[in-house]
Amino acid sequence: MNVGLEHYLVVSAVLFALGLLGVVTRRNILVIYMSLELMLNAANLALVAFSRFNNNLDGQVMVFFIITVAAAEVAVGLALIVALYRRRQTTHVEDLNLLKH
Amino acid sequence: MEVLKLAAPETVLVVIALAVLAVDLLALRGQPVSMRFGIGAAVAGLGCAATMLMLLGRHAHANLFDGMLVVDPLTNVVKAAIVLLTLFTVLISTAGKFTEHVGEYLALILLATVGMMFLVSAEDLLMIFISLELLSLSLYVLTAFNKRNIKSAEAALKYFLFGGMAAAFTLFGLSLLYGMSGSTNLHRIAEGLAGKGMDPLLIVAVVTTLIGFGFKVAAVPFHLWAPDAYEGAPTPSAAFIATGSKVASFFILAKIMMIGFAGAEGSAAWRTFISGWMPAMALLAALSMVLGNLTAIAQTSLKRLLAYSAIAHGGYMLLAVMANNEAGMAGLLYYVITYGLATLGAFGVVQVVEDATGNDSIISFTGLSRRAPALSLCLLVFLLSLGGIPPLAGFFGKFFVFSAAVGADGNHLGLLWLVILAIAMSAVSFYYYLRVLKAAYVADGADVTQATNMMAVPVATLAALVLLAFLVVILGCAPALLMGLLQAGDQVGH
Amino acid sequence: MENAQAYLFYVFAALAVICAIMVVANPFSRSPVTSAMFLVLTMGCLAGLFTLLHAFFLAAVQILVYAGAVMVLFLFVIMLLDLKEEQRRQVKSLSLVAGLVSVGAILAIFVRSLIATKPGEGALANVEGSTSKLGKLLFTQYLLPFEIVSVLLLVAMVGVVLLSKKDLK
Repeated sequence: MNVGLEHYLVVSAVLFALGLLGVVTRRNILVIYMSLELMLNAANLALVAFSRFNNNLDGQVMVFFIITVAAAEVAVGLALIVALYRRRQTTHVEDLNLLKH
Repeated sequence: MEVLKLAAPETVLVVIALAVLAVDLLALRGQPVSMRFGIGAAVAGLGCAATMLMLLGRHAHANLFDGMLVVDPLTNVVKAAIVLLTLFTVLISTAGKFTEHVGEYLALILLATVGMMFLVSAEDLLMIFISLELLSLSLYVLTAFNKRNIKSAEAALKYFLFGGMAAAFTLFGLSLLYGMSGSTNLHRIAEGLAGKGMDPLLIVAVVTTLIGFGFKVAAVPFHLWAPDAYEGAPTPSAAFIATGSKVASFFILAKIMMIGFAGAEGSAAWRTFISGWMPAMALLAALSMVLGNLTAIAQTSLKRLLAYSAIAHGGYMLLAVMANNEAGMAGLLYYVITYGLATLGAFGVVQVVEDATGNDSIISFTGLSRRAPALSLCLLVFLLSLGGIPPLAGFFGKFFVFSAAVGADGNHLGLLWLVILAIAMSAVSFYYYLRVLKAAYVADGADVTQATNMMAVPVATLAALVLLAFLVVILGCAPALLMGLLQAGDQVGH
Repeated sequence: MENAQAYLFYVFAALAVICAIMVVANPFSRSPVTSAMFLVLTMGCLAGLFTLLHAFFLAAVQILVYAGAVMVLFLFVIMLLDLKEEQRRQVKSLSLVAGLVSVGAILAIFVRSLIATKPGEGALANVEGSTSKLGKLLFTQYLLPFEIVSVLLLVAMVGVVLLSKKDLK
């Protein structure tokens, strides 16, 4: 069976949805952050698939930059998590309740 | 070399940011914080002033690399306004007692400004994403700067997680746009989408893009990060998030919707519903106006009050985007710039009061008119402008936005229902602004000792606030000054 | 040849989805280390999918940078934090069900709109993501984003050093 654009997009959508599920349901900050990375990867897959079927390289260049930006963001995010953990000794999202809603 | 010439203002700011870092690191170790802030702010301020002169003095028209860097009079004016807001933020931050890392703080503010400037010039999806991420990353770090207060780190983490999710949604939406049209340039995307009508994938793209940008401008229901971020962040950082980044985000949102999604507006007129981005944005605008204003009434902390007021003002600005014409764009920019000036001033006043009394609740403002008369006069100007009283700038901002919305769509009065809602909610907003002013001017404090001590106001902050108040009054008495600049740029640019 | 590629696609896609499920909801252990390991596997499967899409350079970058640097950083931090086993806090079943339902709905809407739109119809796929072509593009047309990313990395570095330093009170 011929594998077309739709197949790749379905995989991308499933991964995106799984990442979203992780962000919404999990309570450990590190796992939430990993689900966020999963969502970004899903968008990357969509971009590369579109790039192949649109016959230009713009999508691939975009993915290249997205990977770079995601790496920088991971560094900052993990530094934030470490800074918080040092003070609160917890990585459980429900314990972050100093700011009243 | 073309790039360097056209991106000269941004390059200057990057060099100044590096210079501030270098000066602080090499020459100022061991000096008291106030001196380091003073020298750093002076260098940064000079850089901002030079950049503004460069922006307002040049008349170039260029479109580099097919949408990566678009230079025209309108973007120059918007960039100049952003740099002006940055300059005032730097001045206000000099009085801050929340950090010793002066060089890094000022450098990050300047680099965030560079991100904003590139965002304003962008018409290509990749540039939009990268500038947005540069801006956001700097803002996350700026929010976490106060290492003595754990609320700062917590606010930054919440902001970061929400922001990361929004970035993922935006990215997915942008990838769908690229996929459907074959290009990453906004104009070519519109051409590519033109023949297709409202196919379901386009709807998904519209929704995900709106989710991503709705987060950035703190529209309801993507506003949950804003009150916590504004409350936990050091006050100059909160001021910066509330003003400069809003100008850039709304400008680029308007550009994406008006240029990129040009064929997919749909309609949000009363009793008609054609699917497109307009009904979705109408929903966001209405929810933001209502929820922002109503929740602000219950706030006792002034920073959270300003956060909810920012959400409400975002609703009015979304209304301007929905006008979808040049009057709407000019009105939007006028509104967001004057809103930025007034909010920046308000945050400056909050910082002074917070440093003097230890918290930012409305009770701390009691008797402010006796303890710091110049400061409370500035506060009066800022809050009245935010409420929309003539002859201050806020009134004309609302006037231009509402008239653009009413006159949109060929004068069929389709958006009238939103305008009426906006006017009603503006009236509601008077209540909480006047409540603060009442505490400052009218109430005689229950805590008598606190209400009679003269408050120490740092000179640089006071000078900046007086200048801001002066600007707000001038822009209100002569709205044509700013509107002329915006409209002249508009006609040539679009 | 076509069949082999289709077969490989299904293998990689299924593996990626299974590993992603294990990242989000692994029933074996609640430790974030398990999730991190499965995320590395997911990224590896994605790199395989990139190769099938003829994006060779990106596949290499995905493994080297994303799986090789970013996830290693994650594991460093998890190890440094020295977490005890996350106590099984009661995941409120209501929020879990609500999450599943809403995410499932979003997914269903997307797949339906995908089937309705058929974006890939008649598309000829013949672009090769070779390193030289990407490199040429990067240094001519995409020069400005390239320079901005360097500023972004500076911001990230300043931020990380600042946040991680222990302030001497």
